[in-house]
Amino acid sequence: MNSSKAQSSAINTANTALLSVQHLSWHADSQLILDDISFTIKKGSFTGILGPNGAGKSSLLRCLYRYVKPDSGSVQFNQQDIWQQYDAYQYAQDIAVVLQETPTHFNLTVHDVVALGLLPHKGLFTREQASDRLKIDCAIKQVGLADKNLQNFEHLSGGEKQRALIARAIVQTPSLLIMDEPTSHLDVRYQIQVIELAKSLGITVIASFHDLNLASAMCDQLLVLDKGKLVEQGSPQAVITSEMLSNVFGVCAQVSLHPQHKVPHISYFYGYDIKEKTAESRALPHV
Amino acid sequence: MFKVNHSGIIFLTLAFGVISFIASLSLGAADISFSDVITSLLASFSTDKDASEVIFYERIIWELRMPRAILAFLAGCGLAVSGLILQTVTRNPLADPYLFGISSGASLGVVISIVLLGSTISVITPVAAFAGSLVAMLMLLMISGRRQSQQVESMLLAGVALSFLFSSFTSLLLYHTDPQAVTAILFWTMGSFSRAQWSILWFPAVVIISCVIMMLAYRRQLNAMLLGDESATTLGINVNRFRLVMLVLSSLITATLVSLCGGIGFVGLMIPHIVRFFVSQGTVFGIMLTALVGGIFMIWVDVLSRVVLENQELPVGVITSALGSLFFLSLLYFRKNKA
Repeated sequence: MNSSKAQSSAINTANTALLSVQHLSWHADSQLILDDISFTIKKGSFTGILGPNGAGKSSLLRCLYRYVKPDSGSVQFNQQDIWQQYDAYQYAQDIAVVLQETPTHFNLTVHDVVALGLLPHKGLFTREQASDRLKIDCAIKQVGLADKNLQNFEHLSGGEKQRALIARAIVQTPSLLIMDEPTSHLDVRYQIQVIELAKSLGITVIASFHDLNLASAMCDQLLVLDKGKLVEQGSPQAVITSEMLSNVFGVCAQVSLHPQHKVPHISYFYGYDIKEKTAESRALPHV
Repeated sequence: MFKVNHSGIIFLTLAFGVISFIASLSLGAADISFSDVITSLLASFSTDKDASEVIFYERIIWELRMPRAILAFLAGCGLAVSGLILQTVTRNPLADPYLFGISSGASLGVVISIVLLGSTISVITPVAAFAGSLVAMLMLLMISGRRQSQQVESMLLAGVALSFLFSSFTSLLLYHTDPQAVTAILFWTMGSFSRAQWSILWFPAVVIISCVIMMLAYRRQLNAMLLGDESATTLGINVNRFRLVMLVLSSLITATLVSLCGGIGFVGLMIPHIVRFFVSQGTVFGIMLTALVGGIFMIWVDVLSRVVLENQELPVGVITSALGSLFFLSLLYFRKNKA
């Protein structure tokens, strides 16, 4: 009885792992960018990728959304290798990506951009059906841009652009959403809004963050990269520690519990020399 | 309502296109009235042909002006669409069908055929032009196809370099040839529809219509390219391959047109911008409108080239550049004032 239970739970974990990365390494111009990285992403979870600038966050995400091919190791999505058992078109039906910068000098409307979410699901000569248009309109409404439907995408604010791109992802109907620093350049209100919007979709999300407090509050699982290596992974409680902050980010900080949400909350100390940090942080009282 | 508006605009543009077409049959050195044009157009479908005047008009209309007008329309469509493709896949608003050395390749082909083979007006010229532009296109593909990253940049730079390379060869050959050939070549490089004949029209028609159909089919991919290579990849597009296919398409259009009409500047660069001022470019509607506006613009340019000077024809390229840039500048000016 017990063993069968254990067995079924093992099958369960295997089934709930949506994405599994094994010993992934990648280098560019003879420089090792990602070094032997392994982790799994559970179905329905919200995973944050943290790390200082140049740690390899964007490169790791690129390996996940099939933009660059790793030199060694594998990325499996639904237990299938993304390079051997998927082509770009099939993969795009399952995975949507929201990137940081979307430069465009051309007159695309919000509606046009959101409609691109249909691309992986449409043949060359198929037209948009009434149901497709409904889907697009619903997605635009869902992200709160209904009144900007026919506006030029370029003229939107940073937060609105991100929301429009999330609407495109909604239309793409993926089972995994990948976002590369979705909150950079946004003010606090939009940062929270964009992440809550992504969470509200009810699908698996992987996003890279610079705001550690936001990541701590919003994510189920955190991965910390430093110089191309995966140095920490686990729940925010396990990962966000003053030790990690001084080792990886080189900052001196105190970690307490968020008064409302009971997640780790970081208070940074300013003007502390990193060399002295251990002594200083030890001297500081923990809450 | 959205949709009705779009089809309404396309319908109006088409109607204006038909009027422009008939007007271009009526205007020219021999003045044929609008009603005479209609009469002779209708007469050719009936059996009783009596009036000799009508037959004379008919010959002018059917054998001279109509193939010209059709070629002008096709050239305008083709160049505008080709410009739209290139601007989209390179994400460079300055991209133009002549930017990639295709027209300089064609010029070199023509100059070689005139100087070395001594053929001034013959079937060889368009063939030589086509061969020249194909050589330019293949060289560009070989250079830019190899480097996968930064493909756009290397493509643009290679195009400009090839352009200069071919121009220098052309100048060298011209320097050592007789002045008569120089005049012929100069007129050819400035563009003209005087070579239009029924027997050759099928060629540009097939190329341009099939390219427009392909563009309509790939409209979503083209739109996706505007948001960047990485974003397009995540939507399932093989970005480098797609860009090469589109480059080949637009080069084919350009090579075909350059070989028949010579170099006609401005249209490929500016018509997509003008249309983009008013409508979103990536829809079926935007692409069709770009093609139609390009074609209609060119019909009127051809009319002007025939009527501005008495008993003489102005090079088309001169008119497109002058007229088009003035129009574009005024558009920029008024938009700036409005904002």
